[in-house]
Amino acid sequence: MKKGIALLLASAMTFALIGCGGAQAVQEPATEAAVEETVAETAEAPAAEEAPVASAEGVELNVTTTFAGEDGNAQNFKDAVNAWCEQTGNTVADTSATSDETFKTRVVTDFETGSEPDVLFFFNGADANSFIEAGKVVSIDDIRAEYPDYASNMNDELIADSLVDGKKYAVPVNGYWEAMFVNTEVLDAAGVAVPGANYSMDDFKADCQKIVDAGYTPIAAALGNIPHYWWEYAIFNNESPANHLEIPASADDEIGQAWVAGMNDIKELYELGYFPENTLSATDDETFAMFTEGKAAFLIDGSWKVGGIVAACQSDPEDPATLDTDKLSHFDVTYVPGQGSRKATDLIGGLSMGYYITTKAWEDPAKREAAVSFVSYMTSDEIVPKFAQHTASALKNAPAVDEAAFNPLQIKAMSMMSGVTSLTGAVQDLFMGDCRVPTFDGMPEIVTGKVDAKDAVQEGIDAYLAQ
Amino acid sequence: MGANIYKNKKPVFFFLLPAFLFMIVYLYYPFVKNIWNSFRQIKQLGSAGSGFLHPWYENYAKMLTDANIRTSLVNTLIMMAATLVFQVGFAILLALLVDNISRGKQFFKTVFFFPIVISATALGLLFNLIFLYDKGMLNQILELLGKTELTDWKAEGIAIFTMMLPVIWQYVGFYFVILITGLNNISDELYEAATIDGATRFQKVRYISLPLLHNVICTCAVLAVTGALKVFDLPWTMFPKGMPLKSTFLTGTYMYYQTMESKNVDYGSAIAVLIVVLGVVLSKVVNKIFKEKDY
Repeated sequence: MKKGIALLLASAMTFALIGCGGAQAVQEPATEAAVEETVAETAEAPAAEEAPVASAEGVELNVTTTFAGEDGNAQNFKDAVNAWCEQTGNTVADTSATSDETFKTRVVTDFETGSEPDVLFFFNGADANSFIEAGKVVSIDDIRAEYPDYASNMNDELIADSLVDGKKYAVPVNGYWEAMFVNTEVLDAAGVAVPGANYSMDDFKADCQKIVDAGYTPIAAALGNIPHYWWEYAIFNNESPANHLEIPASADDEIGQAWVAGMNDIKELYELGYFPENTLSATDDETFAMFTEGKAAFLIDGSWKVGGIVAACQSDPEDPATLDTDKLSHFDVTYVPGQGSRKATDLIGGLSMGYYITTKAWEDPAKREAAVSFVSYMTSDEIVPKFAQHTASALKNAPAVDEAAFNPLQIKAMSMMSGVTSLTGAVQDLFMGDCRVPTFDGMPEIVTGKVDAKDAVQEGIDAYLAQ
Repeated sequence: MGANIYKNKKPVFFFLLPAFLFMIVYLYYPFVKNIWNSFRQIKQLGSAGSGFLHPWYENYAKMLTDANIRTSLVNTLIMMAATLVFQVGFAILLALLVDNISRGKQFFKTVFFFPIVISATALGLLFNLIFLYDKGMLNQILELLGKTELTDWKAEGIAIFTMMLPVIWQYVGFYFVILITGLNNISDELYEAATIDGATRFQKVRYISLPLLHNVICTCAVLAVTGALKVFDLPWTMFPKGMPLKSTFLTGTYMYYQTMESKNVDYGSAIAVLIVVLGVVLSKVVNKIFKEKDY
């Protein structure tokens, strides 16, 4: 596990460092030319590589992914699908949707009712347990028995093992990280510096108070809607990267106490008035708008939010040419305040999703080849960097990238990633279903004191143990 | 031979069969299956579950202690009362007013009916913007009028009323159209006779229109009460997961929450059974109260 995380981190940092190494490329004309070529290729519609596996023409593949809606890779996915279809003569029935609980339920229900897609881009944690248990997806090893080159460009150490049987099923594309975005305009107005690598919770609280005194809201978060990021980091701050992925057996054991302390830390921030006044009734979109409109200073969110912030700085969210670079310059991304054994530079992140080929498609001779071709194309050395951008990937040979291909916030993200000391998966990905309800949906009750944090944590653990 | 075809009822059953089978497959079988599911442990939609609950009536026992069920039932009853009083009440008022004007009747009919044709989800998003905390239409108007602090229209305490307002507004037009049709069916001769007798406009409404609308109002009342039990999309769009602090749950939204969000499918099934029972009982009660008269 540690080896995997170390490799992932090394991969992420290599990727980020390469991204930040524009100056070196300028000094070496040959390299620069190669990099420019790569960037030129990536800037075009993804038709760079031939489909690695020849496929039967005229097959329609049903594909479901999370590359839809506001996902930063939605357009990349459409472009890649079009290119693959053009290249192979196949067609894709795309039923992608924004990733949320309803989407997860839909996917799992589709498997239960026998209407699963042929290819699925989905989570590799506990969410996938039910259809892996039912044998409805094919392992990478089984596919390699017939197609030895399948995902051969990936570092197997970085491909997550299934929680069900320890086999590898999902070929990853882009990783993720969760960090703290800051609105520097608000920080400047409050006389607060952009947090750095040694930022502690005490520093954070002091800064929040300055921001409140200046008339702004310190934290953009909708505790009644999406408390997920604060939930994860509040628990992480009472643990360490070594034990963060452990699930407590009781609210009284060491891990359980850390969880309770995490919930109480959020309660303290709420009582100090650092969340928006309407944090219990607001939606995530509302608090995000507060952040982008310069009314709130800090936003803990995932790497996918880079795209959301950039879109908020465009007069037309669909048209990158309308980007207001001056507005975008007011945003930065940095580390999440640390506490105890967790350094600020220890972040949540990893490769939590990947492409599955379903047994239904595998057992259909025509679709088998098309599905393998599709996944091979989507996870090729040419396509993955387009999706991974400033996050990690599992490629053995991550290609060189040029800063010029990225916007200023993506470059800041790369710089931030280069200072990360560890990436740990999200424990909430292992703690699924109704066990999360008492502390996720119950967060408003916890912070308002209507429910004791310990009782809520214990209720969740009881539900987990009953699964 | 010619007369015999009317005595032979077999062809009638033949033509009824498709509809009957459709109802069996898509209504009665799922209904019975849902009752069965409410006794089993099911964590994923579509799965058969992992056996019976211990005890098998666990979900129904849980309802007795579930604070959210109490909130849902109370909110649903408030919604019913508000629907009856305001939806049907405003609809009667508007119908009587429009019936008493000679020009522009069709215009008002269209205007009042229009909200019905808009998707409830779209309306939910629209009212979200109206009630938005920061830069919402209502708060901006209040700001123009001199209010210095923003009002959180979705805060605990007033959220339930914020939720009811668009629901009531949307369906007033529906009852308005039913009632105006009822008013059109009242013979003009009665009004003319009353006018000759010296009746005022108010007296005509009080002694002719309202008594003769009685049966139509009863129908509206039954529809309003049963409709309030099924309200889902607009409240869920405006107040997902019973926000804030689970204070805005209705029976329908709580059932959806348990099934889709909490992955507690068996408990969601039990709540669905409760909704059906509640619907049947309340329909009977309302039918008793608003009994139609024979004229």
